[in-house]
Amino acid sequence: MAGFTVDEIEDIRIAVSEVLLALIEHGGGQSIDVEFVVEAQEFRVRGRTAVQDFDADHPDLLLCRTVLAGVGTDHGIELVDDHAQIWAAVTHASIP
Amino acid sequence: MTEMGNHDSLTVDSDPAGVIVVHGDIDVAGRPILEAALLERENDGPIIIDLGDVFFVDSSGLRSLLGASRRAKARDSIVVLRGVRPEVLRLLEITGTTEHFSIEPSRG
Repeated sequence: MAGFTVDEIEDIRIAVSEVLLALIEHGGGQSIDVEFVVEAQEFRVRGRTAVQDFDADHPDLLLCRTVLAGVGTDHGIELVDDHAQIWAAVTHASIP
Repeated sequence: MTEMGNHDSLTVDSDPAGVIVVHGDIDVAGRPILEAALLERENDGPIIIDLGDVFFVDSSGLRSLLGASRRAKARDSIVVLRGVRPEVLRLLEITGTTEHFSIEPSRG
């Protein structure tokens, strides 16, 4: 995480919070698997939980998407093999 | 100051003027505390929420604030957010929701 600015770390905090919040509120109450990947220029968080019903287009998730789009460089909310999967990436701005 | 609710990450008080003073993070864990405090104030005209001691709000917390704003608008009133810190203001700006509140600087 060396090199990430204070603001970027705040963005990471928000992104992680949103990913977990969405899975807690819209998941099936099962355990949530969370993966963090830190590379030189990018932090990525991915959360996954088993669901029986999952509406990736739920209105509450629209706000989540808006927040993730505002703090991250990429994100996704999807249903894969009966699992809700949400991920977000925050990229460290390169110094020109 | 009267305590209105308490959770590990969030405390809500009410000052003598009826301002809801929030301390901590408005997130999925603390949100019910804030919701209860907001509902308690619903019929008292404008709702003033002091966020000077709030450094983090997630989208669930924002939904609580937006819900309070909608209900206030329905009774021709408003929600005032006082002392909004830059971190929280940024969330409002990212989500385009600043127009739903009257945002004031902190007092004193």
